[in-house]
Amino acid sequence: MAEVSLKNLTKRWGDFIGVDNQSLEIHDREFLVLLGPSGCGKTTTMRMIAGLEDPTDGEIWIGDRMVNDDLPKDRDVAMVFQNYGLYPHMTIFDNIAYPLRVRGTPKSEIEPRVKKAAEQVELTEFLHRKPKALSGGQRQRVALARAIVRTPKVFLMDEPLSNLDAKLRVTMRAELKHLSRALKITTIYVTHDQIEAMTLADRVAVMKNGIIQQLGTPDEIYNDPANLFVAGFIGSPAMNLINGSVQDGHFVTTGGTKLVPVSAPDRPDVVLGVRADDMRVSEEGQGGIDVRIYAFENTGEATLLTVQWGKQRVIAKGDRHLRKDQDDMVSITLDPDHLYLFDPETGNRIKS
Amino acid sequence: MRDNTLKYLLVLPAVFVVFATAIWPLIESLRLSFTVGRLNRPGSLDQYLGWENFTWAFSQEPAFWNSVWVTAIYTVLTVALTTLFALGLAMLLAPGGKFRSGVQTLLILPFAMSPALIGVSFRFMFNPEFGLFDAFFGVMIPPLADVSWLADPVLAFAVCVMADVWGWIPFLTLVLIGGLASVPQDTIEAAQVDGASGWRVFKDVTLPQLAPVLAVVIILKSIFSLKTFDQIFMLTNGGPGTATQTLSHYIYFNGMKYGQIGYAASVAWLMVIPMIFLTYAYAKFVFRKD
Ligand SMILES: Nc1ncnc2c1ncn2[C@@H]1O[C@H](COP(=O)(O)OP(=O)(O)OP(=O)(O)O)[C@@H](O)[C@H]1O
Ligand SMILES: [Mg+2]
Repeated sequence: MAEVSLKNLTKRWGDFIGVDNQSLEIHDREFLVLLGPSGCGKTTTMRMIAGLEDPTDGEIWIGDRMVNDDLPKDRDVAMVFQNYGLYPHMTIFDNIAYPLRVRGTPKSEIEPRVKKAAEQVELTEFLHRKPKALSGGQRQRVALARAIVRTPKVFLMDEPLSNLDAKLRVTMRAELKHLSRALKITTIYVTHDQIEAMTLADRVAVMKNGIIQQLGTPDEIYNDPANLFVAGFIGSPAMNLINGSVQDGHFVTTGGTKLVPVSAPDRPDVVLGVRADDMRVSEEGQGGIDVRIYAFENTGEATLLTVQWGKQRVIAKGDRHLRKDQDDMVSITLDPDHLYLFDPETGNRIKS
Repeated sequence: MRDNTLKYLLVLPAVFVVFATAIWPLIESLRLSFTVGRLNRPGSLDQYLGWENFTWAFSQEPAFWNSVWVTAIYTVLTVALTTLFALGLAMLLAPGGKFRSGVQTLLILPFAMSPALIGVSFRFMFNPEFGLFDAFFGVMIPPLADVSWLADPVLAFAVCVMADVWGWIPFLTLVLIGGLASVPQDTIEAAQVDGASGWRVFKDVTLPQLAPVLAVVIILKSIFSLKTFDQIFMLTNGGPGTATQTLSHYIYFNGMKYGQIGYAASVAWLMVIPMIFLTYAYAKFVFRKD
């Protein structure tokens, strides 16, 4: 049980900056998710915490100890590797038992604990096999079991569910959430799946190019994005971003359509962000602005309407019973309480 | 002419060369091993003797047993030492090792020397008057200052082992570097995070994954050690006495020096037995299915 803190952590390879002067406090027992696109430095951050990569600069603290100079074995962390890192010459049982064995756990304790971990990841029937005889998803679960078989100070999980099929992923997600609550162990979890991030995290750190863009609860990240990147990255479908300006207290698109009242001072260049959920779709002429449907999609639980809005396309979510066709006309109303304005130059949120 | 016929005609010269230089001498030596086979006695090359050459070696020849022992100890020592040193060096030079740099190219140097040349140069190095190593060991280990290395049976043997190990380390190191490079880095990192010390990572994760390559290296080196000849010939010529006389050297001496070509052939065929065993093991490891 320990908090983890990163102080001005930097990793550089030559001129290339993998992680750029990042500071982050992860509370004791917290489930923190690092979320970001491929190559943004998530794995690098994890590897530095685990001790597999030396930071170019900065400090890593686990509990009240600066661990920069500690070997991985002395940091008492358990890690699930993105590419599993299973021992090919050992059976699944021995793979899972290895962290217990090297740490001198009594023999009588090893078997029940391995069995329990295997049960938690639904692997019991494969214990005698070698990793080569398992599928990608099964291997990933072995890696997971090898981490949870022990009670470390910190869990580091690098996309531990990325190779599971959709159904198993949901089950394992719930299992992980339950486990982290039950074990009360600080967990740092890397993913680029935002549903995973939203459902698992106590707090999410959204990263881009080695820099944390925003740190907050899933709620804050979703409802109060700090900048254009976070706004565009979180949510499915992604938030609509519409270019335009603020004139007389209204947002006006580049095409000149006066869209919606906003509470911001006039300015020539601005980006309006609005989520598909926050747009009401109604019959032509019965709401805000009439638009032509570019594509109509039915996902089962809702309908998605891509509509042509001047030069831009915007996605709105409609009722699941709505039935329309391409080129039909509908009317769209924006919810004035859930609009976000951004500065197109800096990408920063303009708060009123 | 049909293509089919042509292709056989085209390989015919090669087949002929192989037959003339490898197959036929092999058959001929097998035949000779059952004859009286004295180079200085006309007609004896066709004089059938049965198994007598073989039984003679086992029952009447202490020199034969001496060379068997010399070869056995020589093989065990050189294989063990070369493999250990090469493994250590490979760990340092492998990707992710501590000393990865331009030195690998330097490493190949001893391997570029012919064994005979290694033999000659080591003889010079241990020359009591002007030998570099002789002087070096004399300074480092004072009791060894006045010994004449190649005149002492044990020391001469040690010098032979040293020369052999020195000459073979590069090749084995290169093979093991290749082997180490194919051990996935993430298994090593996983073990480190799991809590294993450097030594345990090596023992539990690196070594087992390196085992197939290591086995091939040990078998190959055993084969090479068993048939060592040219180096010994140039370095000590089997001496002092027969202290460093390996089987190959014994065979050469009997066949070429004493002219007992029939007897030499039979001892050579006796050597085939461990060779077949090793070659079989080698093939098994190299072409293993798993
Ligand atoms: N050893 C290295 N040398 C040079 N650059 C590296 C090295 N390791 C990683 N990088 C670079 O650092 C950046 C961050 O890599 P990292 O593995 O942390 O990304 P990631 O966020 O985990 O991405 P993904 O989601 O694809 O796993 C990448 O651009 C990568 O190319
Ligand atoms: Mg990664």
